[in-house]
Amino acid sequence: MNPASPFSLCVLAIVALSLLGLPVGHAMIAGSVLYLYLAGLDMGTAAEQLLNGMYTSYLLLAIPLFILAAEFMNSGSIMDRLLRWCNALVGRYRGGLAQVNVVQSIVFASMSGSALADAAGSGKLMQTLMTRDGKYTPAFAAALTAVSSVLGPIIPPSIPLVLYALISDTSIGYLFLGGVIPGLLLGIVQMALIALTAKRRNFPVEPAVPLREWPRLTWDAFPALMMPVILLGCLYSGITTPTEAAAAAAAYALAVSAFLYRSTGWRDVYNSLVTSARITVSIGMLIAGALVFNYVITIENIPRTLSVMLKGYELSPLVYLLIVNLILLVLGCFLEGTTILLVIVPVLLPTAHALGIDPVHFGVVAVVNIMIGLVTPPYGLLLFMMVKIAEVPLKDIVREVMPFLGVMIGALALITLVPDLVLFLPRLLGYKG
Amino acid sequence: MAGLLGLMFVAFLLQIAFRYFFNFPVGWSSELTVATWLWLVLWGSAFVLKESEEIRFDLITSAVGPRARRAMGIAAGVALVVLYGMSFPAAWSYVTFMKVERSSYLHIRLDWMYSIYLVFAAAVIVRHLWLLWRLARGKDTEAPDSRTASSGL
Repeated sequence: MNPASPFSLCVLAIVALSLLGLPVGHAMIAGSVLYLYLAGLDMGTAAEQLLNGMYTSYLLLAIPLFILAAEFMNSGSIMDRLLRWCNALVGRYRGGLAQVNVVQSIVFASMSGSALADAAGSGKLMQTLMTRDGKYTPAFAAALTAVSSVLGPIIPPSIPLVLYALISDTSIGYLFLGGVIPGLLLGIVQMALIALTAKRRNFPVEPAVPLREWPRLTWDAFPALMMPVILLGCLYSGITTPTEAAAAAAAYALAVSAFLYRSTGWRDVYNSLVTSARITVSIGMLIAGALVFNYVITIENIPRTLSVMLKGYELSPLVYLLIVNLILLVLGCFLEGTTILLVIVPVLLPTAHALGIDPVHFGVVAVVNIMIGLVTPPYGLLLFMMVKIAEVPLKDIVREVMPFLGVMIGALALITLVPDLVLFLPRLLGYKG
Repeated sequence: MAGLLGLMFVAFLLQIAFRYFFNFPVGWSSELTVATWLWLVLWGSAFVLKESEEIRFDLITSAVGPRARRAMGIAAGVALVVLYGMSFPAAWSYVTFMKVERSSYLHIRLDWMYSIYLVFAAAVIVRHLWLLWRLARGKDTEAPDSRTASSGL
Protein backbone atom coordinates (compact mmCIF):
# COMPACT_ATOMS: atom_id res chain seq x y z
CA MET A 1 0.00 0.00 0.00
CA ASN A 2 1.25 3.45 -0.90
CA PRO A 3 2.41 5.16 2.34
CA ALA A 4 1.27 8.58 1.09
CA SER A 5 -2.21 7.44 0.01
CA PRO A 6 -5.15 9.21 1.67
CA PHE A 7 -6.03 6.02 3.55
CA SER A 8 -2.56 5.53 5.05
CA LEU A 9 -2.49 9.18 6.07
CA CYS A 10 -5.93 8.81 7.63
CA VAL A 11 -4.82 5.84 9.76
CA LEU A 12 -1.62 7.65 10.62
CA ALA A 13 -3.56 10.75 11.69
CA ILE A 14 -5.91 8.72 13.90
CA VAL A 15 -2.99 7.00 15.61
CA ALA A 16 -1.02 10.23 16.01
CA LEU A 17 -3.96 12.23 17.37
CA SER A 18 -4.82 9.47 19.85
CA LEU A 19 -1.21 9.28 21.01
CA LEU A 20 -1.18 13.04 21.47
CA GLY A 21 -4.04 12.60 23.89
CA LEU A 22 -7.22 13.46 21.99
CA PRO A 23 -10.28 11.41 22.91
CA VAL A 24 -10.26 8.39 20.58
CA GLY A 25 -13.71 9.14 19.15
CA HIS A 26 -12.67 12.66 18.11
CA ALA A 27 -9.40 11.32 16.67
CA MET A 28 -11.34 8.90 14.46
CA ILE A 29 -13.71 11.59 13.20
CA ALA A 30 -10.86 14.05 12.57
CA GLY A 31 -8.73 11.42 10.77
CA SER A 32 -11.66 10.43 8.57
CA VAL A 33 -12.34 14.08 7.71
CA LEU A 34 -8.70 14.34 6.65
CA TYR A 35 -9.20 11.29 4.42
CA LEU A 36 -12.30 12.80 2.79
CA TYR A 37 -10.40 16.02 2.16
CA LEU A 38 -7.32 14.30 0.67
CA ALA A 39 -9.42 11.97 -1.47
CA GLY A 40 -11.33 14.96 -2.80
CA LEU A 41 -14.66 13.75 -1.41
CA ASP A 42 -17.43 15.77 0.21
CA MET A 43 -16.44 16.43 3.82
CA GLY A 44 -20.11 16.53 4.79
CA THR A 45 -20.03 12.75 4.39
CA ALA A 46 -18.51 12.48 7.86
CA ALA A 47 -21.59 14.13 9.36
CA GLU A 48 -23.87 12.10 7.11
CA GLN A 49 -22.33 8.74 8.11
CA LEU A 50 -22.32 9.62 11.78
CA LEU A 51 -25.91 10.87 11.85
CA ASN A 52 -27.42 8.17 9.65
CA GLY A 53 -25.44 5.46 11.40
CA MET A 54 -26.56 6.52 14.85
CA TYR A 55 -30.11 7.19 13.70
CA THR A 56 -30.69 3.87 11.96
CA SER A 57 -28.83 1.37 14.12
CA TYR A 58 -31.59 0.40 16.46
CA LEU A 59 -29.48 -2.49 17.79
CA LEU A 60 -27.05 -0.05 19.44
CA LEU A 61 -29.75 1.09 21.84
CA ALA A 62 -29.26 -2.21 23.67
CA ILE A 63 -26.01 -0.77 25.02
CA PRO A 64 -27.40 2.08 27.16
CA LEU A 65 -30.19 -0.21 28.33
CA PHE A 66 -27.79 -2.97 29.43
CA ILE A 67 -25.73 -0.35 31.25
CA LEU A 68 -28.89 0.93 32.92
CA ALA A 69 -29.94 -2.60 33.94
CA ALA A 70 -26.56 -3.18 35.59
CA GLU A 71 -26.80 0.15 37.44
CA PHE A 72 -30.27 -0.66 38.74
CA MET A 73 -29.09 -4.03 40.00
CA ASN A 74 -26.10 -2.50 41.73
CA SER A 75 -28.17 0.17 43.45
CA GLY A 76 -30.41 -2.35 45.19
CA SER A 77 -29.68 -5.24 47.51
CA ILE A 78 -29.73 -7.81 44.72
CA MET A 79 -26.00 -8.37 45.05
CA ASP A 80 -26.30 -9.07 48.79
CA ARG A 81 -28.84 -11.78 48.30
CA LEU A 82 -26.92 -13.34 45.45
CA LEU A 83 -23.79 -13.51 47.57
CA ARG A 84 -25.57 -15.26 50.41
CA TRP A 85 -27.00 -17.76 47.97
CA CYS A 86 -23.59 -18.42 46.38
CA ASN A 87 -22.08 -18.83 49.83
CA ALA A 88 -24.57 -21.57 50.65
CA LEU A 89 -23.54 -23.24 47.43
CA VAL A 90 -19.73 -23.25 47.56
CA GLY A 91 -18.69 -21.61 50.86
CA ARG A 92 -18.09 -24.95 52.56
CA TYR A 93 -15.09 -25.83 50.42
CA ARG A 94 -11.50 -24.80 51.10
CA GLY A 95 -11.04 -21.27 49.81
CA GLY A 96 -14.82 -20.98 50.01
CA LEU A 97 -15.15 -17.22 49.80
CA ALA A 98 -12.81 -17.13 46.83
CA GLN A 99 -15.03 -19.67 45.05
CA VAL A 100 -18.08 -17.60 46.03
CA ASN A 101 -16.49 -14.64 44.27
CA VAL A 102 -16.24 -16.57 41.00
CA VAL A 103 -19.68 -18.19 41.22
CA GLN A 104 -21.25 -14.83 41.99
CA SER A 105 -19.55 -13.41 38.90
CA ILE A 106 -20.89 -16.24 36.75
CA VAL A 107 -24.43 -15.61 38.00
CA PHE A 108 -24.09 -11.84 37.69
CA ALA A 109 -22.60 -12.24 34.21
CA SER A 110 -25.80 -13.85 33.03
CA MET A 111 -27.68 -10.68 33.99
CA SER A 112 -25.24 -7.97 33.05
CA GLY A 113 -23.14 -7.30 30.00
CA SER A 114 -20.42 -5.30 31.65
CA ALA A 115 -17.27 -6.36 33.50
CA LEU A 116 -16.73 -2.96 35.10
CA ALA A 117 -20.29 -3.00 36.45
CA ASP A 118 -19.64 -6.39 38.05
CA ALA A 119 -16.47 -5.18 39.75
CA ALA A 120 -18.15 -1.94 40.83
CA GLY A 121 -21.17 -3.81 42.16
CA SER A 122 -19.56 -6.61 44.11
CA GLY A 123 -16.01 -5.28 44.53
CA LYS A 124 -16.47 -3.38 47.77
CA LEU A 125 -18.60 -6.03 49.46
CA MET A 126 -16.38 -8.92 48.37
CA GLN A 127 -13.28 -7.07 49.52
CA THR A 128 -14.70 -6.50 52.99
CA LEU A 129 -15.89 -10.09 53.32
CA MET A 130 -12.68 -11.67 52.11
CA THR A 131 -10.24 -9.55 54.12
CA ARG A 132 -12.23 -9.59 57.38
CA ASP A 133 -10.24 -11.32 60.17
CA GLY A 134 -7.27 -11.56 57.80
CA LYS A 135 -8.80 -14.48 55.91
CA TYR A 136 -7.26 -13.49 52.59
CA THR A 137 -4.68 -10.86 51.74
CA PRO A 138 -6.23 -7.66 50.34
CA ALA A 139 -4.17 -8.03 47.17
CA PHE A 140 -5.47 -11.55 46.49
CA ALA A 141 -9.07 -10.50 47.12
CA ALA A 142 -8.76 -7.51 44.80
CA ALA A 143 -7.03 -9.56 42.09
CA LEU A 144 -9.71 -12.23 42.28
CA THR A 145 -12.58 -9.74 41.94
CA ALA A 146 -10.83 -8.26 38.91
CA VAL A 147 -10.30 -11.57 37.11
CA SER A 148 -13.72 -12.99 37.95
CA SER A 149 -15.38 -9.81 36.62
CA VAL A 150 -13.87 -10.64 33.23
CA LEU A 151 -16.65 -13.22 32.83
CA GLY A 152 -19.35 -10.52 32.78
CA PRO A 153 -19.33 -9.67 29.08
CA ILE A 154 -18.46 -13.17 27.85
CA ILE A 155 -21.48 -14.92 29.33
CA PRO A 156 -24.56 -13.29 27.73
CA PRO A 157 -25.78 -10.60 27.72
CA SER A 158 -22.72 -8.74 26.57
CA ILE A 159 -22.07 -5.13 25.59
CA PRO A 160 -18.87 -5.87 23.59
CA LEU A 161 -20.68 -8.60 21.63
CA VAL A 162 -23.37 -6.05 20.69
CA LEU A 163 -20.58 -3.80 19.40
CA TYR A 164 -19.07 -6.71 17.49
CA ALA A 165 -22.48 -7.51 15.97
CA LEU A 166 -22.55 -3.93 14.73
CA ILE A 167 -19.17 -3.98 13.00
CA SER A 168 -19.45 -7.51 11.63
CA ASP A 169 -23.13 -7.78 10.69
CA THR A 170 -23.50 -10.99 12.70
CA SER A 171 -26.64 -12.11 14.53
CA ILE A 172 -26.55 -10.93 18.11
CA GLY A 173 -28.56 -13.95 19.28
CA TYR A 174 -26.01 -16.44 17.94
CA LEU A 175 -23.11 -14.40 19.28
CA PHE A 176 -24.64 -14.44 22.76
CA LEU A 177 -25.11 -18.22 22.59
CA GLY A 178 -21.53 -18.58 21.40
CA GLY A 179 -20.27 -16.88 24.55
CA VAL A 180 -21.92 -19.31 26.99
CA ILE A 181 -19.46 -22.23 26.91
CA PRO A 182 -16.29 -20.08 26.71
CA GLY A 183 -17.54 -18.01 29.65
CA LEU A 184 -18.24 -21.08 31.78
CA LEU A 185 -14.90 -22.55 30.74
CA LEU A 186 -13.08 -19.45 31.99
CA GLY A 187 -15.02 -19.67 35.26
CA ILE A 188 -14.10 -23.33 35.68
CA VAL A 189 -10.38 -22.77 35.12
CA GLN A 190 -10.45 -19.94 37.65
CA MET A 191 -12.17 -22.13 40.22
CA ALA A 192 -9.75 -24.97 39.55
CA LEU A 193 -6.81 -22.65 40.11
CA ILE A 194 -8.34 -21.43 43.39
CA ALA A 195 -8.87 -25.04 44.53
CA LEU A 196 -5.20 -25.78 43.83
CA THR A 197 -3.93 -22.62 45.50
CA ALA A 198 -6.26 -23.08 48.46
CA LYS A 199 -4.42 -26.20 49.63
CA ARG A 200 -0.99 -24.68 49.21
CA ARG A 201 -1.81 -21.38 50.87
CA ASN A 202 -4.21 -22.89 53.37
CA PHE A 203 -7.22 -20.72 52.60
CA PRO A 204 -10.00 -20.73 55.20
CA VAL A 205 -13.27 -22.64 54.96
CA GLU A 206 -16.61 -20.94 55.61
CA PRO A 207 -19.01 -22.53 58.10
CA ALA A 208 -21.28 -24.79 56.08
CA VAL A 209 -24.78 -23.42 55.60
CA PRO A 210 -27.22 -26.10 56.89
CA LEU A 211 -29.38 -27.69 54.24
CA ARG A 212 -32.61 -26.46 55.80
CA GLU A 213 -31.53 -22.84 55.22
CA TRP A 214 -31.25 -23.40 51.48
CA PRO A 215 -34.91 -23.01 50.51
CA ARG A 216 -35.13 -19.64 52.29
CA LEU A 217 -31.90 -18.33 50.75
CA THR A 218 -32.93 -19.49 47.31
CA TRP A 219 -36.35 -17.88 47.76
CA ASP A 220 -34.63 -14.63 48.79
CA ALA A 221 -32.47 -14.63 45.70
CA PHE A 222 -35.13 -16.11 43.43
CA PRO A 223 -36.33 -12.90 41.72
CA ALA A 224 -32.72 -12.01 40.93
CA LEU A 225 -31.97 -15.52 39.69
CA MET A 226 -34.98 -15.28 37.37
CA MET A 227 -33.41 -12.35 35.55
CA PRO A 228 -31.30 -14.36 33.09
CA VAL A 229 -34.23 -16.67 32.43
CA ILE A 230 -36.44 -13.72 31.52
CA LEU A 231 -33.77 -11.98 29.49
CA LEU A 232 -32.66 -14.97 27.45
CA GLY A 233 -36.21 -16.28 27.24
CA CYS A 234 -37.35 -13.02 25.65
CA LEU A 235 -34.46 -13.13 23.26
CA TYR A 236 -34.56 -16.70 22.02
CA SER A 237 -38.28 -17.26 21.95
CA GLY A 238 -38.36 -14.36 19.51
CA ILE A 239 -40.87 -12.45 21.65
CA THR A 240 -38.74 -9.34 21.63
CA THR A 241 -35.82 -7.91 19.69
CA PRO A 242 -32.45 -7.88 21.50
CA THR A 243 -32.91 -4.18 22.17
CA GLU A 244 -36.34 -4.68 23.72
CA ALA A 245 -34.99 -7.59 25.77
CA ALA A 246 -32.42 -5.16 27.19
CA ALA A 247 -35.20 -2.71 28.06
CA ALA A 248 -37.20 -5.50 29.69
CA ALA A 249 -34.13 -6.50 31.71
CA ALA A 250 -33.67 -2.93 32.94
CA ALA A 251 -37.35 -2.66 33.85
CA TYR A 252 -37.22 -5.97 35.68
CA ALA A 253 -34.09 -5.01 37.62
CA LEU A 254 -35.73 -1.74 38.62
CA ALA A 255 -38.96 -3.45 39.63
CA VAL A 256 -37.17 -6.08 41.71
CA SER A 257 -34.94 -3.68 43.61
CA ALA A 258 -37.52 -0.91 44.03
CA PHE A 259 -40.75 -2.75 44.73
CA LEU A 260 -39.86 -6.28 45.75
CA TYR A 261 -36.76 -5.67 47.85
CA ARG A 262 -37.70 -2.04 48.65
CA SER A 263 -34.04 -1.11 48.61
CA THR A 264 -34.09 1.58 45.91
CA GLY A 265 -35.57 5.07 46.22
CA TRP A 266 -36.17 7.84 43.69
CA ARG A 267 -32.75 9.28 44.47
CA ASP A 268 -31.07 5.99 43.57
CA VAL A 269 -33.05 5.77 40.35
CA TYR A 270 -31.97 9.29 39.41
CA ASN A 271 -28.32 8.55 40.29
CA SER A 272 -28.42 5.34 38.23
CA LEU A 273 -29.77 7.32 35.28
CA VAL A 274 -27.03 9.94 35.56
CA THR A 275 -24.21 7.39 35.83
CA SER A 276 -25.58 5.33 32.95
CA ALA A 277 -26.01 8.41 30.78
CA ARG A 278 -22.38 9.43 31.36
CA ILE A 279 -21.10 5.95 30.45
CA THR A 280 -23.40 5.92 27.44
CA VAL A 281 -22.03 9.21 26.17
CA SER A 282 -18.38 8.22 26.43
CA ILE A 283 -18.95 4.90 24.67
CA GLY A 284 -21.34 6.56 22.20
CA MET A 285 -18.65 9.00 21.06
CA LEU A 286 -16.40 6.07 20.29
CA ILE A 287 -19.19 4.40 18.32
CA ALA A 288 -19.78 7.64 16.42
CA GLY A 289 -16.10 7.78 15.46
CA ALA A 290 -16.13 4.12 14.47
CA LEU A 291 -19.14 4.65 12.18
CA VAL A 292 -17.27 7.34 10.25
CA PHE A 293 -14.01 5.36 10.13
CA ASN A 294 -15.79 2.17 9.01
CA TYR A 295 -17.21 4.12 6.07
CA VAL A 296 -13.64 4.95 5.05
CA ILE A 297 -12.71 1.27 5.29
CA THR A 298 -15.69 0.40 3.11
CA ILE A 299 -15.03 2.87 0.30
CA GLU A 300 -11.33 2.03 0.31
CA ASN A 301 -12.42 -1.57 -0.34
CA ILE A 302 -9.96 -2.89 2.22
CA PRO A 303 -11.49 -6.39 2.36
CA ARG A 304 -10.85 -6.92 -1.38
CA THR A 305 -7.35 -5.50 -1.25
CA LEU A 306 -6.53 -7.76 1.67
CA SER A 307 -7.85 -10.95 0.15
CA VAL A 308 -5.83 -10.27 -3.00
CA MET A 309 -2.72 -9.69 -0.88
CA LEU A 310 -3.33 -12.87 1.12
CA LYS A 311 -3.48 -15.02 -2.00
CA GLY A 312 0.29 -14.54 -2.14
CA TYR A 313 0.86 -16.02 1.32
CA GLU A 314 -0.08 -19.51 2.35
CA LEU A 315 -1.91 -18.45 5.50
CA SER A 316 -4.06 -21.06 7.21
CA PRO A 317 -7.11 -19.89 9.21
CA LEU A 318 -5.60 -21.33 12.39
CA VAL A 319 -2.30 -19.51 11.99
CA TYR A 320 -4.20 -16.30 11.33
CA LEU A 321 -6.36 -16.76 14.44
CA LEU A 322 -3.26 -17.32 16.54
CA ILE A 323 -1.67 -14.18 15.09
CA VAL A 324 -4.86 -12.24 15.85
CA ASN A 325 -4.78 -13.53 19.42
CA LEU A 326 -1.22 -12.41 19.83
CA ILE A 327 -1.92 -8.95 18.38
CA LEU A 328 -4.99 -8.45 20.55
CA LEU A 329 -3.28 -9.65 23.72
CA VAL A 330 -0.36 -7.31 23.20
CA LEU A 331 -2.63 -4.39 22.32
CA GLY A 332 -4.81 -5.25 25.32
CA CYS A 333 -1.90 -4.41 27.58
CA PHE A 334 -1.84 -0.84 26.28
CA LEU A 335 -5.21 0.08 24.83
CA GLU A 336 -8.69 0.42 26.19
CA GLY A 337 -11.00 -2.45 25.17
CA THR A 338 -13.73 -0.59 23.28
CA THR A 339 -11.04 1.11 21.22
CA ILE A 340 -9.57 -2.25 20.21
CA LEU A 341 -13.00 -3.58 19.37
CA LEU A 342 -14.07 -0.61 17.25
CA VAL A 343 -10.75 0.37 15.65
CA ILE A 344 -8.54 -2.73 15.43
CA VAL A 345 -11.04 -5.57 15.02
CA PRO A 346 -12.69 -4.03 11.90
CA VAL A 347 -9.24 -4.00 10.29
CA LEU A 348 -8.64 -7.68 11.19
CA LEU A 349 -12.11 -8.89 10.30
CA PRO A 350 -11.95 -8.81 6.47
CA THR A 351 -8.99 -11.20 6.43
CA ALA A 352 -10.90 -13.59 8.69
CA HIS A 353 -13.75 -13.48 6.18
CA ALA A 354 -11.39 -14.09 3.30
CA LEU A 355 -9.89 -17.10 5.08
CA GLY A 356 -13.32 -18.56 5.81
CA ILE A 357 -13.15 -18.19 9.59
CA ASP A 358 -16.61 -18.31 11.14
CA PRO A 359 -17.64 -14.76 12.17
CA VAL A 360 -19.28 -15.92 15.41
CA HIS A 361 -16.17 -17.88 16.41
CA PHE A 362 -13.95 -14.94 15.48
CA GLY A 363 -16.11 -12.52 17.45
CA VAL A 364 -16.17 -14.58 20.63
CA VAL A 365 -12.40 -15.19 20.45
CA ALA A 366 -11.82 -11.46 19.95
CA VAL A 367 -14.10 -10.50 22.84
CA VAL A 368 -12.59 -13.06 25.25
CA ASN A 369 -9.22 -11.65 24.27
CA ILE A 370 -10.24 -8.06 24.85
CA MET A 371 -11.78 -8.96 28.21
CA ILE A 372 -8.53 -10.59 29.31
CA GLY A 373 -6.97 -7.29 28.26
CA LEU A 374 -8.95 -5.63 31.06
CA VAL A 375 -6.70 -7.32 33.63
CA THR A 376 -3.35 -7.16 31.83
CA PRO A 377 -0.86 -4.61 33.16
CA PRO A 378 0.16 -1.87 32.65
CA TYR A 379 -3.19 -0.68 31.28
CA GLY A 380 -6.12 -2.70 32.63
CA LEU A 381 -9.31 -0.91 33.59
CA LEU A 382 -10.39 -3.62 36.03
CA LEU A 383 -7.01 -3.40 37.77
CA PHE A 384 -7.34 0.38 38.10
CA MET A 385 -10.84 0.00 39.43
CA MET A 386 -9.75 -2.50 42.09
CA VAL A 387 -6.84 -0.27 43.08
CA LYS A 388 -9.43 2.40 43.81
CA ILE A 389 -11.97 0.13 45.53
CA ALA A 390 -9.54 -1.99 47.58
CA GLU A 391 -6.85 0.66 48.12
CA VAL A 392 -4.12 -1.84 47.35
CA PRO A 393 -1.05 -0.85 45.27
CA LEU A 394 -1.26 -1.85 41.62
CA LYS A 395 1.91 -3.95 41.71
CA ASP A 396 0.55 -6.18 44.50
CA ILE A 397 -2.66 -6.84 42.61
CA VAL A 398 -0.71 -7.54 39.42
CA ARG A 399 1.40 -10.17 41.18
CA GLU A 400 -1.72 -12.02 42.31
CA VAL A 401 -3.37 -11.67 38.91
CA MET A 402 -0.51 -13.37 37.03
CA PRO A 403 -1.38 -17.05 37.73
CA PHE A 404 -5.00 -16.37 36.75
CA LEU A 405 -3.81 -14.69 33.59
CA GLY A 406 -1.89 -17.86 32.76
CA VAL A 407 -4.88 -20.20 33.04
CA MET A 408 -7.18 -17.76 31.23
CA ILE A 409 -4.80 -17.55 28.28
CA GLY A 410 -4.72 -21.35 28.30
CA ALA A 411 -8.53 -21.39 28.09
CA LEU A 412 -8.39 -18.80 25.30
CA ALA A 413 -6.02 -21.04 23.34
CA LEU A 414 -8.47 -23.92 23.75
CA ILE A 415 -11.39 -21.78 22.52
CA THR A 416 -9.30 -20.71 19.54
CA LEU A 417 -8.24 -24.23 18.60
CA VAL A 418 -11.63 -25.87 19.10
CA PRO A 419 -14.28 -23.74 17.32
CA ASP A 420 -16.97 -26.19 18.45
CA LEU A 421 -16.67 -24.86 21.99
CA VAL A 422 -18.09 -21.61 20.66
CA LEU A 423 -20.28 -22.91 17.84
CA PHE A 424 -21.95 -25.90 19.50
CA LEU A 425 -24.80 -23.99 21.17
CA PRO A 426 -25.53 -21.62 18.25
CA ARG A 427 -25.67 -24.61 15.88
CA LEU A 428 -27.99 -26.42 18.25
CA LEU A 429 -30.39 -23.52 17.85
CA GLY A 430 -30.17 -23.32 14.11
CA TYR A 431 -27.02 -21.37 13.31
CA LYS A 432 -25.73 -22.34 9.90
CA GLY A 433 -22.01 -21.64 9.97
CA MET B 1 -29.13 14.18 30.22
CA ALA B 2 -30.55 11.75 32.74
CA GLY B 3 -33.90 12.98 31.45
CA LEU B 4 -33.06 11.91 27.89
CA LEU B 5 -32.05 8.44 29.02
CA GLY B 6 -35.13 8.19 31.20
CA LEU B 7 -37.29 9.21 28.24
CA MET B 8 -35.65 6.53 26.10
CA PHE B 9 -36.29 3.93 28.76
CA VAL B 10 -39.94 4.88 29.18
CA ALA B 11 -40.50 4.97 25.42
CA PHE B 12 -39.16 1.44 25.20
CA LEU B 13 -41.47 0.20 27.91
CA LEU B 14 -44.43 1.83 26.18
CA GLN B 15 -43.41 0.23 22.91
CA ILE B 16 -43.31 -3.25 24.40
CA ALA B 17 -46.53 -2.66 26.30
CA PHE B 18 -48.37 -1.45 23.22
CA ARG B 19 -47.20 -4.31 21.10
CA TYR B 20 -47.83 -7.19 23.47
CA PHE B 21 -50.51 -6.13 25.84
CA PHE B 22 -52.66 -4.03 23.54
CA ASN B 23 -51.68 -5.80 20.35
CA PHE B 24 -51.17 -2.42 18.75
CA PRO B 25 -47.67 -1.83 17.40
CA VAL B 26 -46.61 1.79 17.39
CA GLY B 27 -43.80 3.25 15.34
CA TRP B 28 -43.36 6.57 17.04
CA SER B 29 -41.81 5.06 20.16
CA SER B 30 -38.92 3.43 18.30
CA GLU B 31 -38.39 6.70 16.49
CA LEU B 32 -38.37 8.55 19.78
CA THR B 33 -35.80 6.13 21.22
CA VAL B 34 -33.31 6.55 18.39
CA ALA B 35 -33.77 10.31 18.51
CA THR B 36 -33.04 10.38 22.25
CA TRP B 37 -29.98 8.18 21.69
CA LEU B 38 -28.59 10.49 19.00
CA TRP B 39 -29.19 13.61 21.05
CA LEU B 40 -27.97 12.03 24.28
CA VAL B 41 -24.58 11.10 22.84
CA LEU B 42 -23.90 14.31 20.90
CA TRP B 43 -25.33 16.70 23.48
CA GLY B 44 -23.62 14.91 26.35
CA SER B 45 -20.29 14.82 24.57
CA ALA B 46 -20.51 18.51 23.68
CA PHE B 47 -21.62 19.93 27.03
CA VAL B 48 -21.73 17.48 29.91
CA LEU B 49 -18.82 15.07 29.79
CA LYS B 50 -15.67 16.25 31.54
CA GLU B 51 -12.32 15.99 29.79
CA SER B 52 -11.24 13.32 32.23
CA GLU B 53 -14.27 11.14 31.49
CA GLU B 54 -13.58 10.69 27.81
CA ILE B 55 -12.01 7.50 26.50
CA ARG B 56 -8.49 8.33 25.44
CA PHE B 57 -5.08 6.77 25.16
CA ASP B 58 -3.19 8.33 28.05
CA LEU B 59 -0.19 6.06 28.49
CA ILE B 60 2.12 8.59 26.85
CA THR B 61 0.50 11.82 28.00
CA SER B 62 0.65 10.73 31.62
CA ALA B 63 4.28 9.57 31.32
CA VAL B 64 5.82 12.77 29.90
CA GLY B 65 6.56 15.97 31.79
CA PRO B 66 4.23 18.98 31.89
CA ARG B 67 6.11 20.88 29.15
CA ALA B 68 5.89 18.03 26.67
CA ARG B 69 2.27 17.41 27.63
CA ARG B 70 1.48 21.05 26.92
CA ALA B 71 3.13 20.87 23.51
CA MET B 72 1.27 17.67 22.66
CA GLY B 73 -2.00 19.17 23.82
CA ILE B 74 -1.48 22.22 21.62
CA ALA B 75 -0.58 20.11 18.55
CA ALA B 76 -3.60 17.85 18.99
CA GLY B 77 -5.93 20.76 19.73
CA VAL B 78 -4.86 22.71 16.64
CA ALA B 79 -5.29 19.65 14.41
CA LEU B 80 -8.75 18.99 15.85
CA VAL B 81 -9.93 22.58 15.47
CA VAL B 82 -8.62 22.78 11.89
CA LEU B 83 -10.19 19.49 10.78
CA TYR B 84 -13.55 20.07 12.46
CA GLY B 85 -13.50 23.64 11.20
CA MET B 86 -12.76 22.52 7.64
CA SER B 87 -15.63 20.06 7.60
CA PHE B 88 -18.11 22.39 9.29
CA PRO B 89 -19.42 24.15 6.14
CA ALA B 90 -19.93 20.80 4.39
CA ALA B 91 -21.69 19.38 7.43
CA TRP B 92 -23.85 22.52 7.54
CA SER B 93 -24.94 22.09 3.95
CA TYR B 94 -25.67 18.38 4.51
CA VAL B 95 -27.80 19.02 7.57
CA THR B 96 -29.72 21.93 6.05
CA PHE B 97 -30.27 19.88 2.90
CA MET B 98 -32.04 17.24 5.00
CA LYS B 99 -35.00 19.63 5.36
CA VAL B 100 -36.46 17.82 2.34
CA GLU B 101 -37.05 14.73 4.47
CA ARG B 102 -39.29 14.13 7.44
CA SER B 103 -39.18 11.29 9.94
CA SER B 104 -41.79 8.68 9.15
CA TYR B 105 -43.93 8.72 12.30
CA LEU B 106 -43.42 11.92 14.20
CA HIS B 107 -43.00 13.96 11.00
CA ILE B 108 -40.08 15.88 12.42
CA ARG B 109 -38.06 17.56 9.72
CA LEU B 110 -34.71 15.77 9.55
CA ASP B 111 -32.74 19.00 9.46
CA TRP B 112 -34.10 19.69 12.95
CA MET B 113 -33.39 16.14 14.06
CA TYR B 114 -29.83 16.30 12.72
CA SER B 115 -29.09 19.88 13.80
CA ILE B 116 -27.56 18.46 17.00
CA TYR B 117 -24.51 17.54 14.95
CA LEU B 118 -23.87 21.20 14.12
CA VAL B 119 -24.31 22.13 17.77
CA PHE B 120 -21.93 19.33 18.69
CA ALA B 121 -19.28 20.26 16.11
CA ALA B 122 -19.43 23.95 17.04
CA ALA B 123 -19.19 23.13 20.74
CA VAL B 124 -16.19 20.84 20.16
CA ILE B 125 -14.41 23.60 18.24
CA VAL B 126 -15.15 26.24 20.88
CA ARG B 127 -14.22 23.90 23.70
CA HIS B 128 -10.86 23.07 22.16
CA LEU B 129 -10.15 26.71 21.34
CA TRP B 130 -10.71 27.44 25.01
CA LEU B 131 -8.41 24.55 25.99
CA LEU B 132 -5.79 25.85 23.56
CA TRP B 133 -6.00 29.30 25.07
CA ARG B 134 -5.47 27.83 28.53
CA LEU B 135 -2.52 25.77 27.29
CA ALA B 136 -1.02 28.80 25.55
CA ARG B 137 -1.17 30.74 28.80
CA GLY B 138 0.87 27.99 30.41
CA LYS B 139 -1.78 26.07 32.29
CA ASP B 140 -1.38 22.29 32.36
CA THR B 141 -4.20 20.12 31.08
CA GLU B 142 -6.34 18.33 33.60
CA ALA B 143 -4.26 15.36 34.72
CA PRO B 144 -5.59 12.30 32.90
CA ASP B 145 -7.09 9.73 35.23
CA SER B 146 -7.80 6.41 33.57
CA ARG B 147 -9.74 5.28 36.60
CA THR B 148 -12.60 7.67 35.93
CA ALA B 149 -12.99 6.83 32.26
CA SER B 150 -15.80 4.37 31.94
CA SER B 151 -16.44 2.48 28.77
CA GLY B 152 -19.30 0.19 29.66
CA LEU B 153 -17.21 -2.92 29.09
